[in-house]
Amino acid sequence: MGAPFDISYVFSFLPKLLTTLGTTLLIVACSLLSGVLVGFLIALPRLYKVPVLKTCAEIYISFFRGTPILIQLFLFYYGLPEILKLVSVDVTRTPVLFFVILTYGLHTGAFMSEMIRASVTAVDRGQVEAAYATGMTSFQAFSRIVLPQALGIAIPVFSNLVIALLKDTSLAFTLGVMEMTGKAQTLGSISQHFIETYIALALIYLVISFTIEKLLLVAERRLLRHEERSSPAKRMFRLQKNGSYRRIIAELGPGKGGGGL
Amino acid sequence: MIKIEHLSKSFGRHQVLNNIDLTVTKGEVVVILGPSGSGKTTLLRCVNYLEKPGDGEISIGDFRLNCKHARKKEIHQLRQKTAMVFQQYNLFRHKTALENVMEGLLVVKKLPKEEARNRSIALLEKVGLGAKLDAYPSQLSGGQQQRVGIARALALEPEVILFDEPTSALDPELVGEVLAVIRKIAKEGITMIVVTHEMGFARDVANHVVFMDGGVIVEEGTPAEVFNHPREERTKQFLKRITPELNYSI
Repeated sequence: MGAPFDISYVFSFLPKLLTTLGTTLLIVACSLLSGVLVGFLIALPRLYKVPVLKTCAEIYISFFRGTPILIQLFLFYYGLPEILKLVSVDVTRTPVLFFVILTYGLHTGAFMSEMIRASVTAVDRGQVEAAYATGMTSFQAFSRIVLPQALGIAIPVFSNLVIALLKDTSLAFTLGVMEMTGKAQTLGSISQHFIETYIALALIYLVISFTIEKLLLVAERRLLRHEERSSPAKRMFRLQKNGSYRRIIAELGPGKGGGGL
Repeated sequence: MIKIEHLSKSFGRHQVLNNIDLTVTKGEVVVILGPSGSGKTTLLRCVNYLEKPGDGEISIGDFRLNCKHARKKEIHQLRQKTAMVFQQYNLFRHKTALENVMEGLLVVKKLPKEEARNRSIALLEKVGLGAKLDAYPSQLSGGQQQRVGIARALALEPEVILFDEPTSALDPELVGEVLAVIRKIAKEGITMIVVTHEMGFARDVANHVVFMDGGVIVEEGTPAEVFNHPREERTKQFLKRITPELNYSI
């Protein structure tokens, strides 16, 4: 298929692909923002065990976790306008990017809500009781005691979600969005150097993922500095141990029964 | 003065507290003894509404709270009049010893930062942790953590401090330092209700000893009365099991 392999194409494609980096990052940023918001809204009824809303939240989560993102994109892009037509709302002029961000936002929201629920539950219930006993209101106890610690616990999972989202945005090209993967397809078809474009593309995704991971690791260390021991050797060990332990906790979200704030 | 009147609590069908009446006068140290499952800790947790009592009344000074119809604001007031020292210390893990003590002063009492800081430092020095102000709980031993917990409770200047088995989670060699601190503040005339299994401590420090079993107060009196001349059979059995060196005639 295509022209013979020529490594120089990889380098010449890099800047061309980078012109569409903005679109990719825009999708990631907007989806993350709406994902965090949606995640909170979905996590709250589960944390507070609100009867009917809790079931709705669970159905929402199982839909978005249980179906492929590609199908979700198609459903929202082709299906939503049809449904809205029934109530005479015309969305045919709405840009594709809107549907893409909507889908990724709702999709990420489902995973975010699980992350939020698990990390809030992982903060030990005794500290909330201590906060109440000190005379704090439930809002103060949440914002001053639970939230700062939950953030630190959530970061490893959050990091995974951001990277997964970044990679998932590559599917937006199926709807014709000119983000990095879309651009790579075009470049490949024009030049017939498909392998080279994909190598360049992979390199860019790799560098961004790596940067995000490292940045969030710094944030995690900072937020969890209270769990560090003073001696450096011990610190390394503890961090690793804590890291993996927290990952397990946050991912499994064991029923500690401390959800009812 | 703290008055608990006909307080009851059940978890599902299981009645944990059955019509408890208890009066604690100002400056008194009340020790609650009893076998596990007797409802001691639940009683303590009901006093600051960490556990919702089913029925009864709690009054502290002029403040009166009907447990069945407590409003949010009243619960909040009740909690400000009490402070609690927990078995598992329950320090805020993301805050230093100093910040742990300051937290309530800043957030609940709304003191200016400088004043809160000075008061907290003084309290931490009082419990012998003047050198550990900036240590996080994970860097402190159990005994040190519990002493921070006591300083945190003292900072709020509550009408009563509730101690929920403050030494049960500690290594034996650390129990002494915590009991010494509690003794010290008891001498200053701070009202306390202490649930403990430390019989020696109960004998020395308590003004009033309460023995609970099966969700009711079986017997109460001065330490001399309860330890030396228990009237009830169940008290005698319990004391005999826990302090075999004292020979009670059953």
